[in-house]
Formats: sequence, structure tokens, C-alpha cells
Amino acid sequence: MNSAIELLAPRYDIAWYPWAVQYFFMIALSYATLWLAAPALVFGQQRWLPTARLALLACLTTTLVAPVALLADLHQPLRFWHFYAYANSHSWMSIGSLVLPLYVVGVIVLSWLAWRPALQANRQAPGLAGLAARWLAFGATPIPRALLVLVGLGTLALSTGIMLYTGAELAIVKARPLWHTVWLPPMLVATGFIAATGLVMVLNRVSGLRDLSADRQMLKVMLGACLVAGLVAGSWFLDGINAHVGSVAAAMESVRDSAEWRSTALWGGLTGLALFAAVLTLLTRPASRRPALFAWTWVLGLVALHVGWMFRWVVLMDVQTVARHSAGFHHYGIPAGSSGILGIVGTFGLWLAALLLVDLLIPWRQATQGGSATDASPSESNAQPDAKSVKGAPSHG
Amino acid sequence: MDLIRRSLLGQLARLSAGAAMVPLSSIASAGINQQPPRREGDPSKRYGMLIDLRQCIGCQACTVSCHIENAAPLGSFRTTVAQYEVAHQETGEVATFMLPRLCNHCENPPCVPVCPVEATYQQQDGIVVVNSDRCVGCAYCVNACPYDARFINERTQTADKCTFCAHRLEAGLLPACVESCVGGARIIGDMRDPESQLSRMIAEHRDELMVLQPEKNTLPQVFYLGMDERFVTRPDAEPVALDVLDPHGQEMGYEFRH
Repeated sequence: MNSAIELLAPRYDIAWYPWAVQYFFMIALSYATLWLAAPALVFGQQRWLPTARLALLACLTTTLVAPVALLADLHQPLRFWHFYAYANSHSWMSIGSLVLPLYVVGVIVLSWLAWRPALQANRQAPGLAGLAARWLAFGATPIPRALLVLVGLGTLALSTGIMLYTGAELAIVKARPLWHTVWLPPMLVATGFIAATGLVMVLNRVSGLRDLSADRQMLKVMLGACLVAGLVAGSWFLDGINAHVGSVAAAMESVRDSAEWRSTALWGGLTGLALFAAVLTLLTRPASRRPALFAWTWVLGLVALHVGWMFRWVVLMDVQTVARHSAGFHHYGIPAGSSGILGIVGTFGLWLAALLLVDLLIPWRQATQGGSATDASPSESNAQPDAKSVKGAPSHG
Repeated sequence: MDLIRRSLLGQLARLSAGAAMVPLSSIASAGINQQPPRREGDPSKRYGMLIDLRQCIGCQACTVSCHIENAAPLGSFRTTVAQYEVAHQETGEVATFMLPRLCNHCENPPCVPVCPVEATYQQQDGIVVVNSDRCVGCAYCVNACPYDARFINERTQTADKCTFCAHRLEAGLLPACVESCVGGARIIGDMRDPESQLSRMIAEHRDELMVLQPEKNTLPQVFYLGMDERFVTRPDAEPVALDVLDPHGQEMGYEFRH
């Protein structure tokens, strides 16, 4: 065997910017929180109502912000209408461009249906909240619960379309062996649920709701999502361990050749295991100790958000730095401008703004499973733009 | 890890719960990710290229002439010649290996079906082109090409790539890289014409020709003669040093800055 040194090769830039990470992160939070809101909103499980209220808040805000990040990743964002004028049924991205707007509309309508009774009850409230309630309630006629269930089921179906297309879009790319595996789409969904349960825990704390049952439900879902993620990762590894080519071989090559990949793999593995262990510990403590312990679940929530975001960063950004037909790895430094840090911070800022606006104008704490104003008690406290409600919000990056 | 244990682990994986998803992948890549119909171009022709590496001296005349002809931004290349220093491990003898790279105008181009707006398409003569008026710059095609043949042109903010100089072929001229090649290493031609120089050379050297990354099933139509099989896939080499320092530890900055 001879040894070779690459003397001359161009520097290949990455093609998808951190906007893509932000989109994949926000849309995963969106579809996963929709499913967390579904037990109470769509399937009528009363016990899940506090969780559903938090999850719906997270779902609507992330759903509004995600398409902005997606649009920003286009180099020609003003040509977005080409997606509809020249749709290509052969492209997963084109299919996604048709599913996404339907899904966004579904989430908006579902949120409106769930919040409307509270809005109607809030019409007499003073100030902005009352004004918004009068505008947004659109009359006083009650809406049958069946309609909410119908819209909910439709939106849930569309959300599976989002899960499928975001995963398939990456998994069909043979040019990037690390993406080209059937195990990537389920892993994206599993880590999406880990992050979403984390977000609900964080919101449970910063909104002051501090609902113990919501925390316990989220811990259980997070435990399940961690188990699924572990199973998927294990299957991916075992499935490819025999092969000399493919995504596992590519991953092992990257880990062997690069110190950064080694530390990323170690960090990801350890964080996942630590999260799983912590969730398991919290869930198995005696009931008497729960209130004291569950006060700290928001910390786990932040770790879970970190896991979900980092996984997408590694998959979308780090994988693009693995050279395809030249040696080694391409250098990538996150630029400061809108295609880098500013884009990442900006997306989270936009999300925070959306969250605060909803908190300011909409009595989301009284969200119901449909019905009329009598089902919802008038709002008392949600119209205060509380400075504490932003503290500790997920803005890592 | 020994072979038996590895295959046992593989079997274990197949038994695991998620293995039911494997058939889904064939739907994802076959059902939806199929090639759209070809359009425009001369259906009586199929352009291809043969690169005779025995004639390549790595002078980069092709790189420069392509750059001038197609006005690519500095630092982005439609074609370039990668160069490797290869040392024989026993004798220590050193040789230089040249690898001219460009779009392979594949028979099964992975960059085409991914385009969400059909801005990139394959002509009936096999040339893969981009309609830059329609391209939305999503860069999906850039990621889908295993050969790094595509880039986002920072001036037009759309996908850019080698077109075999389709505009020159139409006018009866040779592509800039072929025209400028001092060793005559690049031969372009119509593979449907059995009398073309390309067809004759392909017939003559059929068994020695190689294409890049054949395992990707893209069926490249740029054929290499005199190729070392170790460079057919991603070369196992020490990567290029992008930061070259002078004796004072300052970066010499030979690299193009955007």
C-alpha cells in the first residue's frame, strides 16, 4: 500500500446553512408538541389538559417560526412561489412544500378552536387582552367539539407527513453516506420528542404553571422517546457493522479520523445516557418526594432541548464537512452574519417574540377541548407580560 | 471483531423492532425519487467525455479556461484538477497523480430528481443543466451530487455546474476545457455516433476505463483512462493543507478569499 498526500483540492463550502438546523429543530418541536397536545385536545383525556395547554403554546409558536427559517435557507427566498408554480412530484422537498403550508394552517385552526372558548370568555377583559379576545373570537356561536377533533385528526395526519418528508429528504441522499440510512428518519422523530417534552417541562416552569402531573407525563414520554432513540441508534449500528460502505462505516471512519467527531460522539452518547438515567431516577422516586424533585425537571428539559438541537446540528452541519471525493474534512467556522450566528439567535428570538405575543394576547392557560365560553373560566393572570416568563427560556445555540 | 460475531450482531439487528421500516426506504428512493423525463437538447446525441490520465500533466489550463469561459466566482470551480503526491511505501519513490474532476453528466443523475422546482434537468443529449431563472437556490442538488460538481454561485445565488459548455457545443465549438488541454487528455463526443473519436476510444479501451464512485449507481458518463482504482472512491490520503504558514508563522494566504 502506498501513502498519498492531497496537494491540491478546492475548498468546498457547505450548501445548507444553520437555518436548516433551525428549521429541522423548530418543525420537530412543532410536530412532537402537537402529539403531546393530542391526548387531551383530540382524544378527550382530561388528565392531559395541563400538558396540552403548554404543548399547544409550544406547538403554535414553533409552527409559526419554522417556515421562516426554512425560507431563509433558500438562496433566492423571493422565488418561493416557484415551489407551487413548478412543483416536482419526484422531489421530497417539493412534496414537503405542499404538506408544510397545510400543516401550518391545521395547527393555527386547531389552536384557535382550542383557545376560542377562553377568548369568548375574555371579551370583557380590560386592555389589550380584551381587545384581542374580541377580535380573535369571531363571534359568540359555540363550535361543536367534533370539529376540533376533526381538525386535530387532520393535523395529526399532516404532521406524520412532515415527519416522513423531513426524514426522507435526507435519507435518500446517497452522496452523503451518513444521511443515507433508513434509521435517520425515526431517529429525527425520537430526538424531536425528547426535545419537545423538554420544552414542555421548561414552559411548565417559566409560565409559573408548575403542574406536577404535566411534569410526570412528560418524564414518561421522554423516557419512552429515549428508549426508542437508543433502540434506533443500536439497530443502526448493528445493521451496518458488517458493511464496508454505508452510513455506519462512514461514521466509524469519521470518528477514527477526526478528534472533533470523536468528542461529538462521546458527548452525544454521554448526554443521552445521562438524560435517560436522570429521567428514570426521577420517575422511580416515592410519591412524597416528587414535588421537591420535580421542581428541577426544567433543567432536564434544557438538557433534552440541547440533545434535540445538537443531533440536528451534527446531522445537518457536521456531516456536510465530511469530504465526498477529496481527503479529510472541510473546515467550517460558523460565520457571524445572518447565515450563521445571527440566523441561529434570530430564529430563537423570533420564537421568543411569538411566545410572548401569544402569552400577552391569548388566554392559553384556559385552552379547552372545544365547546363554548361557559367551559372556560375568565382569564385572571395571563395578560401580564411577566419578565420571569422569559427567564430560562431555551436560547442555547 | 471476528467475522462470525459481526454477522451475529447483524442478524440481531434485523430482529430488532425497527427492521420493519426497511421496505419504506425503497419506496422513498424508488417511488418518489425517480428521474423526471428528459427535455430539450438533441435526442439523436448522447454526449460523454473520456479523460486520458496518461496525457494529463496537471497544468490546470482546463481549470483556468473554464473559469474564464463560464465566469465562475473566485474559489468555485466547474472543473478542476485535484493533485496527489503518492509515495511507494517500500521504495519511497514519489509520483504525482492527477484527477481532473467535473460533472459526470450521469445516466442516473441524483441531482435531478431532488430539485423541487425542476430547475435542474437532463437534456435529451444527456447534458445536465440548470435553469438559473427558475432555481430557488435550495442547494438540495449541491448536497445530492456525490462528486462535488455543483456549487451555489455567490453572484447569481443559484446552483451552478459544468454544462459540457453546451453553448459552445451548440455553436460547433469544443468545451473550453477540451480546447485548452495541452496534452489532449480530454475527449468529448457523441456516444451514439460509432465513428466519433470518443466512441472509438471507448471501444478500444473498454476494459481499462473507470468511472468515479460506481457503487453509487449514478452511471457517470465521464470515463477515465489510466486511472488508479484507489482514486475511484474518496481517496485515502492526507488532506490538503489549506493554511500554509511562512517561517514566521504567518499564513501565506495563497487560498482564494471570497
